[in-house]
Amino acid sequence: MKLPDRLARALARGLPLLVCVLFAAGSACAAELNAYSIWPENWARPMFEEFEKATGIKVNFVRFSSGEALARLIAEKNNPRVDVLFGGPVETFAAGIPEGLFEPYKPPSFPNLPARFKQADGQWIAIADDPLVFMTNDKFLKEHNLKAPASWNDLLDPAYKNMLQMADARTSGTAVTRIFSILEVNGRDENKAFAYMKKLRPNVQLYTKSGGGGTLPVGLGQAGGGIFFIVDALDTKAKGYDVTVSFPSEGIGTAAEGIALIKGAKNVSEAKKLIDWASSPAMQGLFAKYKINFVPAHPDVQSDPGLAALLKSAKIFPIDADYAGPNRKRIVDRWVAEILNP
Amino acid sequence: MQRRAVARPHADRALTVTVCVLWSLLALFVLYPLVMLIARIFVDHRAFTLAGPARILADVHQWRAFANSLLLATLVALLGTILGFVFALAATRCRLKRAAIAAIDAAVLLPLVSPPFTLAIGYIFSFGPRGLITYGLFGLKGVTVYGLWSTLSAEALTYFPIAYLTLRPMLAAIDPNIEGMALSLGASRGRVFRTITLPLCTPGLANAFLLLFAASLADFATPLILAGNQFPVLPTQAYLQITGLFDLRGGAVLSLMLLVPALLVFVLQRHWVGRRFYVTVGGKGAGQTPSDTMPPALRTLLIVVCIAVTMLIVYLYALLLYASLVVALGANHAFTLQHYRVIFTEGLKPIRDTLIIAAFATPLGGLYGVVLGYLVARRRFLGRQAMEIVSMIDYALPGTIVGIAYLIAFNDPPLVLTGTALILVACYVFRYGPTGIRATVALLQQIDRNLEEASFGLGARSGTTFRRITLPLILPALLAGLGVVFIRSMTAISATIFLVSIGWSLITVKILENITELALGPAAAFSVLVVVIVFVVIGVIGRVLRLFRAQGAPRMAGLLGT
Repeated sequence: MKLPDRLARALARGLPLLVCVLFAAGSACAAELNAYSIWPENWARPMFEEFEKATGIKVNFVRFSSGEALARLIAEKNNPRVDVLFGGPVETFAAGIPEGLFEPYKPPSFPNLPARFKQADGQWIAIADDPLVFMTNDKFLKEHNLKAPASWNDLLDPAYKNMLQMADARTSGTAVTRIFSILEVNGRDENKAFAYMKKLRPNVQLYTKSGGGGTLPVGLGQAGGGIFFIVDALDTKAKGYDVTVSFPSEGIGTAAEGIALIKGAKNVSEAKKLIDWASSPAMQGLFAKYKINFVPAHPDVQSDPGLAALLKSAKIFPIDADYAGPNRKRIVDRWVAEILNP
Repeated sequence: MQRRAVARPHADRALTVTVCVLWSLLALFVLYPLVMLIARIFVDHRAFTLAGPARILADVHQWRAFANSLLLATLVALLGTILGFVFALAATRCRLKRAAIAAIDAAVLLPLVSPPFTLAIGYIFSFGPRGLITYGLFGLKGVTVYGLWSTLSAEALTYFPIAYLTLRPMLAAIDPNIEGMALSLGASRGRVFRTITLPLCTPGLANAFLLLFAASLADFATPLILAGNQFPVLPTQAYLQITGLFDLRGGAVLSLMLLVPALLVFVLQRHWVGRRFYVTVGGKGAGQTPSDTMPPALRTLLIVVCIAVTMLIVYLYALLLYASLVVALGANHAFTLQHYRVIFTEGLKPIRDTLIIAAFATPLGGLYGVVLGYLVARRRFLGRQAMEIVSMIDYALPGTIVGIAYLIAFNDPPLVLTGTALILVACYVFRYGPTGIRATVALLQQIDRNLEEASFGLGARSGTTFRRITLPLILPALLAGLGVVFIRSMTAISATIFLVSIGWSLITVKILENITELALGPAAAFSVLVVVIVFVVIGVIGRVLRLFRAQGAPRMAGLLGT
């Protein structure tokens, strides 16, 4: 089946749904849908409960890390168990496209979103944005008479020797975003960027499997600092650990979080309603209420004031998908060969 | 030297039927998923290809991980077997008070009955630049917690209870009269230990070594947290290949590499142990008090090691309990019960699901282990050795790959099981039942065939002989099998993380999730709950089975927590 064909069919299916959404509000149908959530339960659950409140559709979900979710979707391809893949870096979604996991669908918000927040065919759409930050342990900074790092070069300070934790590029989208940030601030000069990473290597205690894996060690002081997504960093702070979040003056990258309809989904109309809702201000306006520190993807939604204040002074740039996409595998392979296993 | 069972004239229907049933089960739940998985590796778009394996096998780093895995598994098996033997000797030969033995039993069981991440997390808190022990207690700075030594000791602590559980009944089953006779004939205690006790334990030691080697070879949770970047091992690499690089094929290749050493050790062990002849249980039940066969110096050493290890375990678990009762360990140490409130509201469904699944898997897995173990150890039928090897495959393979294989095999017709509880039950039975098989085989190697031959000679058929003679004798192995399957049903994660579904979730998956969410409190509370449930249930199993223990059975101390 050709893509336009599929699109036409999707639209044909979507139209009655739209009518249903417009006219059947509040009708008592005990509808439900199934989802794999890459967002942790403490963020996904309130979102799904709000969705049920708004639409009457119950979301049954299980939470997996992005890699586990994708591995399952691939294994279940011929007989999908869920209708929606919810949350997680859009990289994961990009990896699912060649596997033919998703059914293209363009929700009403589609035209309003900037290009980097959607896949051109509607294979996925972004629901949030998540910048990287530096996070350091307060006690560690004090003990070594350091200020919170404000430049990429600050992390090269010998005081950090064997005390930084950050994610492993083989498993974590956080790490890939970090590496492309380093490439970007070095003017995409690969040799310069890798020279920096080589200099950073002695300061790295551990490359963690998951993006947030290093937050607890940093919170506890087992590590001095690291590079994390802002949600994970602010969550660590909210738990009561004494950490400082800072940004490099040269700038740092950000990555979008996505949602997608699974091909062969059994509850297509309900799934589409969830995608409509999640990609719209209806859901993204709730981030602040539940203290989820994602930056909304939809341009009409304001960030939480505290988060906005934190980000105001920061120089944040999106990772250029046209550059990162084709070079990702090569760069990660080079990272594994030259940085991880020199 | 081994005598063969007497050929019987009448057709033995019970045997034939049982063998057929077992073979169909093994074919369906062990071989079929494996074949489907291998097909995935070598078939790409309906064409045979070697590209996937070739790419992985050409990578030097993967071979280094392979070598690391072998090194780690060998060291863990060695250290764990020694520890298990030390504990087993202390429990059976050191004339300790019953209360002391019960305390050791309880502490030893802790690592066995807790979810796989708990010890590793305890290590992360205790060792390292700000570790409670390295920094808090000794003021050491710049210590790293990641690497071979922490992985080795955490795995040895996690798995040595398996060795203890295998060796203790073996030691207890040695007729004390033999040791007593040697002593009264003038042998020194050291000589008795060297020439009688130790050789009689050889099948058990080899068995424990095999079990630990396989367990370590397949473990991915501990290295995932503790191995760091300098010491990659194969199961973690396989897991990362699948979940990180989305390379199912590569991950499968890496996992299959593990199968080779696992099966090799298994075959060696069979060959080596099979040549010796160990019979200590004759027709009569022995009922003497254990003789005083330990040299005093050795006895002191054993007890000191036991106490040190027990204290380390108790400390790590006290830390876990503490983490479940404070707001956020390391940040806010105010007392709270909020984590328990959370797990008994939001976490109620996984708790219920886990218990239901364990309730089905435990009796099935225990029965499977004893029946299959009995058949391969005692009966002669076509494909006996093949059956023993096939039954060990799922145990030897890393859980990640078993989980993925099940997922691939049972997601499509003819047999759609994904999303059901049955797939989880099957996974537990065939992945953890082999512990019961090994225990049964090891125990039967100590029991004289005469008993069964006498039964046959008097005209009883296999079913009757098994029920009336063998089963009472191997009850301890059944108990071990039941216990291990139940414990694993409550604590396993590597395979089942791929098999949980919207309808059926598990406590361990919730724990992993909580750990990744930095919610240590609920993770610790769940872990404490698991430990409590397992202790209670294992205690009940032990008690019930003790009621039915037949007269004349070897004097086996209850295996698990009795």
